[in-house]
Amino acid sequence: MNADQEEEVETLYGLHRGELRRLLNARLGDPVEAEDLLQELWLRARQRPVGPVGNGRAYLFRMAQNLVVDRLRERQRRMARERRWSDQETDFAQAGMEPTDRSGTAEDQIIAREEVAALASAIANLPEGARRAFELHKIRGLSHAEVAAQLGISKSGVEKHMAVAMKYLRRALLG
Amino acid sequence: MTAQSNLDERVLDEALAWQAALERDDADWDGYMAWLEADPRHRQAFDSIALTTAMVEEHKDAVGSLFDVQGEQAIPRPHRRMKWALGVGIVAVLALAIGLPLRQQEPAPSVYAADAGKSRAVALANGANILLSPASRIVVHGKDAARIELASGEAFFAVRHDPSRMLTIEAGPYRIIDIGTRFSVNLSGGTFRVGVSEGAVAVASDKAEGEVRLQAGQQLTGGANGDLTLAPVAVADVGSWRAGRLSYSDAPLALVVADISRYSGKRVIIDPSLETRHFSGTLVIGDGSRLLPDLATVMGVAVHSQAGGAVRLGGADR
Repeated sequence: MNADQEEEVETLYGLHRGELRRLLNARLGDPVEAEDLLQELWLRARQRPVGPVGNGRAYLFRMAQNLVVDRLRERQRRMARERRWSDQETDFAQAGMEPTDRSGTAEDQIIAREEVAALASAIANLPEGARRAFELHKIRGLSHAEVAAQLGISKSGVEKHMAVAMKYLRRALLG
Repeated sequence: MTAQSNLDERVLDEALAWQAALERDDADWDGYMAWLEADPRHRQAFDSIALTTAMVEEHKDAVGSLFDVQGEQAIPRPHRRMKWALGVGIVAVLALAIGLPLRQQEPAPSVYAADAGKSRAVALANGANILLSPASRIVVHGKDAARIELASGEAFFAVRHDPSRMLTIEAGPYRIIDIGTRFSVNLSGGTFRVGVSEGAVAVASDKAEGEVRLQAGQQLTGGANGDLTLAPVAVADVGSWRAGRLSYSDAPLALVVADISRYSGKRVIIDPSLETRHFSGTLVIGDGSRLLPDLATVMGVAVHSQAGGAVRLGGADR
């Protein structure tokens, strides 16, 4: 990043710092955590080449949103790991047996496989129309318009299917 | 942070609408922040939608290839039924050509079997859709397929409830009657399990008086000794083998191991020390080869090779 770009990011950040704090506060509901993420956002924004940014404010806001989701995902994985451990300790551990491999990567792979299986199962159980629309759009990467054309329905029909699918998957995956 | 399942529909719809709106270049970020601040449930709803989206995004390739592999395992589509209808047509024409008495007698039973490593969709003329899991077999008897016998393995049934129709599914000493609409039946290793994901069924047994009624979200397990256990089951876990995983809720180990034998093609013996054990958990099917090692790991027991290519689960090395 050259000096001009760095200055641009600094200006942009300085300009929107207050709003970004407000956004992070609203997303996290915790001022301390919000301040922590604001720091991280600043560090990342400085490292990342900005490139041609049409709307600097939206760019920073999206970055903040992504940081929040990363943090939520990390928390979710940590809970899955803890759940696995307590399952093994309370139900399955037997004296004199080899302890299960608890190295981070093996564990994360198992958790990822479980997530994939849960996701595939939840998608398979969607109502037929929502399932097809969801699979074409989210899994196969077709746009809403392409999905509409393929299924012979309207674009708003696709949107309705997607909303049904997201709400169903949310319940299936997160309880 | 975690989602609450009782977030109401309206809030979730708003969260979805905001998620879509924020994709736009001229997104109203001020309006979004005001919405978040108006009610802490808004934040929870948005978090849960964002988290679901992130999971889908992260795993879409893996899920896509799982669906590719499954191919035929997908829930039966209408065109398969058309193929079946076409098949009936050809049989009828052949029968006429060689002068077989078509109407005079009950048709011979038809056997449908899924090979190892592949599931098979069967659409019957009476509107019952069946998905056979690998290495499973059904026998269809009678006019209008009024009696379906699960000979071995597991099958998922999607059958419209129709009180005017007689349809019985038999599995060993058990009979499933008054059927509708989506349920999975397993008969392996001397054990029986039926789980209902939609609608309700009634089950009768040669070994016991009366019937047991099951609603969606319930399963009935019959042990080798004929004991019946009615228990809740997650609807998404019923027939989850269609989506590449085996889910068990307090299942007799004999049933779990019989499933694994079908999927791995390997004969699995349970050490006598584990015979009365039950298992709860989920195993990812994959190519079938990891099922037994994964089960052994979760249960904290060992796997031993036996003579003749079989494997024994549990017990000491000998």
